[in-house]
Amino acid sequence: MFKNYRTVLLVVLGAVFFTSCDKDDPEIPNGEELITTVTYTMTPSGGGTDVVMSFRDLDGDGGDEPVIVGGTLAANTTYNGTLELLNEANDPTIDIAEEVSEEDIDHQFFFQTDITDLTVSYSDQDSQGNPLGISSTVVTGGTGSGQITIILRHEPNKSAAGVSDGMIDNAGGETDIEISFPVDVN
Amino acid sequence: MLIRFYKFILGFVFIGVTVSSIAQDCNMSILGTVIDESSNLPLTYVNVFIQETGTGVVTDDKGNFAFANVCKGEYHIIFSHIGCETQRYHFDIEQDTFLNIVLSHSETSLNTVVIQGVKNELSNQSNISLDRKDIEDNNNQSISSLLQNETGVHLIKNGNGISKPVVHGLFGNRLTILNNGIIQSGQQWGNDHSPEIDPFAADKITIIKGASALAYGGGNLGSVILVQPKKISKEPHLHGQINYSFETNGRGNNLNTRLEKYTPQLAFRLNGTLRKYGDSKTPNYYLRNTGLAEANLSLQLEKSWNAKTFVDFYSSTFNTQLGVLRGSHIGNLPDLEDAIGREIPFFTEPDYNDSIDAPRQEVSHHLTKLRLKHFIKDNQSVELVLAGQLNDRKEYDVRRGDRSDTPSLSLRQYTFNSDLKYAHDFASDWSLIIGNQNIITDNTNNPDTDILPLIPDYRSIRTGVFSTLSMSFSSAQLSLGWRYDYEYQSVAAITRSQPPEIIRYQNDFNNFSMLSSIKIDISEHQSLSMSNGISMRNPAINELYSNGLHQGVSGIEEGNVDLQTEKALKQTVEYKWLPSPTFSFNALGYIQRFKDYIYLQPEEEVRLTIRGAFPVFSYRQTDARIYGLDLSSQFTLKNSIIGLVKYSYLRGYDVGNDTPLIYMPPPSLFGSVTFRADRSIGLTSNVKLEEVEVEINNRYVLQQNHILPQQDFLAPPGAYNLVGLKLSTNVFLPEYKFRFFIKADNLLNISYRDYLNRQRYFADDVGLSLTAGVNLKF
Repeated sequence: MFKNYRTVLLVVLGAVFFTSCDKDDPEIPNGEELITTVTYTMTPSGGGTDVVMSFRDLDGDGGDEPVIVGGTLAANTTYNGTLELLNEANDPTIDIAEEVSEEDIDHQFFFQTDITDLTVSYSDQDSQGNPLGISSTVVTGGTGSGQITIILRHEPNKSAAGVSDGMIDNAGGETDIEISFPVDVN
Repeated sequence: MLIRFYKFILGFVFIGVTVSSIAQDCNMSILGTVIDESSNLPLTYVNVFIQETGTGVVTDDKGNFAFANVCKGEYHIIFSHIGCETQRYHFDIEQDTFLNIVLSHSETSLNTVVIQGVKNELSNQSNISLDRKDIEDNNNQSISSLLQNETGVHLIKNGNGISKPVVHGLFGNRLTILNNGIIQSGQQWGNDHSPEIDPFAADKITIIKGASALAYGGGNLGSVILVQPKKISKEPHLHGQINYSFETNGRGNNLNTRLEKYTPQLAFRLNGTLRKYGDSKTPNYYLRNTGLAEANLSLQLEKSWNAKTFVDFYSSTFNTQLGVLRGSHIGNLPDLEDAIGREIPFFTEPDYNDSIDAPRQEVSHHLTKLRLKHFIKDNQSVELVLAGQLNDRKEYDVRRGDRSDTPSLSLRQYTFNSDLKYAHDFASDWSLIIGNQNIITDNTNNPDTDILPLIPDYRSIRTGVFSTLSMSFSSAQLSLGWRYDYEYQSVAAITRSQPPEIIRYQNDFNNFSMLSSIKIDISEHQSLSMSNGISMRNPAINELYSNGLHQGVSGIEEGNVDLQTEKALKQTVEYKWLPSPTFSFNALGYIQRFKDYIYLQPEEEVRLTIRGAFPVFSYRQTDARIYGLDLSSQFTLKNSIIGLVKYSYLRGYDVGNDTPLIYMPPPSLFGSVTFRADRSIGLTSNVKLEEVEVEINNRYVLQQNHILPQQDFLAPPGAYNLVGLKLSTNVFLPEYKFRFFIKADNLLNISYRDYLNRQRYFADDVGLSLTAGVNLKF
C-alpha cells in the first residue's frame, strides 16, 4: 500500500528539490516605451538662430536626476516651435513623437507659462481637427523670466470645455510628460 | 445577509441507528430523538423532513419526532433548526427504525476549532465562522466581502471588485489566509491583490483573531483566516446544487454548481463558478470600467485506504479579470490632485457598459494539494500535505501605442509547500502536535512588459518547526507552543543605471514565535480566555527591494535593504457570557505592540521625472501599537426574532514618530433584526415554505479622525450608514428543495466613501443594489 504513496511522494518532492536555491538571472526588459529626451526647438519666424531647450533623463523614473537646459528668447518675436521626443535608452533610438503622431487623437500637448506677454498656441491639428501640439507658435512680448511647462496628456477629453484652446483643467487622461524649462525673454 | 455571531451550528457528531425486528412494506415507522451534545437536553423545534415523501415533522418538547407508514426504501432526511445550517442524511429504511441524533451546540462549536480532527492551539483563541448558508446566500460576493460584517474584520479595497480582508488592523503579509490548509500565495504585497479563492468551494470560513497561530508559517502576526471545504458526506447517490443570483448594480450574474458522490472506493466533489459584472453605479453615476469576469473550478477527492489511512486530493483553478475605475488611473501627482477635486470622475460615461478595459487585472491562481493522514493508533496520527500553487498576475495599464494589451506588470509566482505533522492525544484530553513546514517561493517577472519591475525576481526557501501542547483541566484549557522558522532569500534585481545591471542579494532570517493561551470556565455560562503571543516577521521582498514608480501610492517606492525583522507581542482577553440559549454576549479586547514595525514613509524629497515631480516613499521602521475592542451580542425573542449587535473599535499608533498609523479601520457598528416564522408554512399539500426570514440590517461606519492631515492626500471621508434588507425562504417540493432570497444593499441609495477604499480619492462607493437568488439542491 505504501508503494503507491512513495511514487506520488517522489514525484512531488522531486519537483520541489530539483530546483536550486538561487534565483536565475532575470531578463532585462527593453523599456521601449520610455521617453528619455524631450527637445523643444524654437525657430524665429523672421530668421535667426534656433533656441533649443531640452530635458534628458536616460535612466527613467528614479535613479539620476534629469538634465534640463532652458532657453533665452528675444522680446517681441514670433517663433515656430517643434517638439522632439526620443527614447535614447534604447539602441537604436526610438522616435516617440512618431508614435504620438500616429495616435494623434489620443494625445495633446499643453503649454503653460508664468511669463507675462508670452503665449504659445497650436499650429497643428489631429485627424479630427483638434489641436495636437507637436508644432506650435511662441510669441513673446516684453522682457521677463520664468518657466514654460510642457505637458503631454494621453487620452484627454479633447471635446471638454476649453481643452482645444489649450486649457488643461477639464482634459483628464494621464500625464505622460510634464516638464518645466527655465526661460528668459530679453 | 444573516451573519450571526453565536451560531447554532448543528454538527452531527453521532448518529446511532437502532433497528427493531418487524418489517412490512409500507407500514414502517421512523422514530427518533434529537438531543444537544453539551447539555444532554432534548432539542425542540428541530424540523425533520423526509425529502422523498415530502413529509415533515417538528420535534416536541422532549426532542422526539415520528413518521408513520413509511415505505421500505432509501430516504434523505433533512434536519433544520433555527439559525442553523440545514443538514441532510441518507438512510436505507428496511424496517422500523429509531434514530438517536446528538447535535453539538453553539457553545462547544464556538470554543473548539478542530482542524483536521485534532484539538490544537487555536482552540482557546477567539474565532468566528461563516457556514455554508452564509456562503450560498452571498454568492454575489467575493471571499473578502463575505467577511466584512464580522467584528474586528474590515476590508481594504481598490474599488468594488478588488478587496482584501484586514483583521485587527493587519493585512497582506501580516495576515495568513489558509485555503484548504495551504497558505494562500500571492498575498505578500499590494493592497490591490484580492485573495484568489472561490468561496463557493468552501463550506466554512473561520477567522481566528488570536495572538499567534503557530501551526501555520507565513509570518502571521496573530490572526488567520481558514477557508475549508467539509468532508464529502457518505451519500451513495449523486447530489449537488445549483446556485444562481442576479444583482442589479453592475447587472451581475453569478452561477455556481456543486456535484458530489460517495462510493467506498472514492468520493468526489466538483465545484464550478461563473461570474460576470459590468460597471457598477453610485447613486449618481456609473463607475466606468469596474466590471469583473470570473471562472473557477475545483475538484476534491477523498479516499479511505483502510480504517487508518486517508487520502484526499484537492485541485482548484481560479481565473479572474477585474476592471479598475478608469478615472482612477493617473500619470502624476497633479493628475491625482485634479482627479481628487472632481465632482464626477474623469471618463464617466452616461450609460452602463460591461467591457473591461485597461486599467485592469488578469489573475489566475491554481492550487493542487495532496494530503495523507495515517492513524498509528486511535490517539496518534501522522499527516503529510504536499501542495503546489501558481499565481499568474497581469496588470494592464493605459499605455501608448498598442501596448495597452501588454501588461505593465506580469508576475508568475510558484509556491511549493510540504507540511508534516504528528499529533498525539493523551487520555486526559491533552494533545501534543509537532510539525515541520517547508515553503519554496519562486517569483519571476515577465520581461515582455517592457518595464523595469517594481518588485525583483526572487526565490525564497522557508523551513519551520513547531510544537504545541493543549491541556484540559476541570474548568480550564491551556495551550502552550513555540515555533521557529528559517528563511533564505535569493534576489536578482535589475538596477536603474544605464546600462541596467543585475545585482544580487542573499539574506538569512531566523524567526521565533511563542504562544500561551488559557480559557477558564468561570461558571456554566461564562468563560474568560486570555492569550499571549510573540511573533516575528522578516522583511518581505517588496519592503527590502522595491524600486520604481508605484501607481498605487502615486509615488516612487523605495525599498530599504537595512530593514530588520519585525517583532510583535499581542495579548487578547475575551469574555463570553451565555446565560441562556436566547442571549449571548462577547467582548474581546486586544493590544499588539510592535518593535521595528515596517511601514511606508512619505519622504520630504520629491523626485523629478519626465512626468513631473513625484513624492518618494521609502520603507522605514518604527515602534507601533494597535489596540482595539470587539463587542457582540445576540438575543432571540419567542423563537422568532433574532437581534444582533456588533461593534469594532481599533486604534493604531506610531510610537516612534508620535503619530497615528495610516490605513487603520475606523470604528464601526453593525446591527440586524431577523424575523423568522417558527413553523413551516404549507402552500399546498406538497409545497411548503420553511425558514421564512426577513432581515433588516444596518452598518454604521464612523469617520477616521485618528489621522493627521499631512499623512494623506485627502482627508478621510465622513461617517456613513448603510441599510440592508433581506427576504429568504426554503421551498420544499416533493422531490427538491429550493432556497430563494432577495436582498437590498445600500437600500437608501446614499452616496458615501469608505476610508479603506483607494477608489475614494476619485469616486463615490456603489449605490442601491438588489440581488435575487435561487438555490436548488438535488
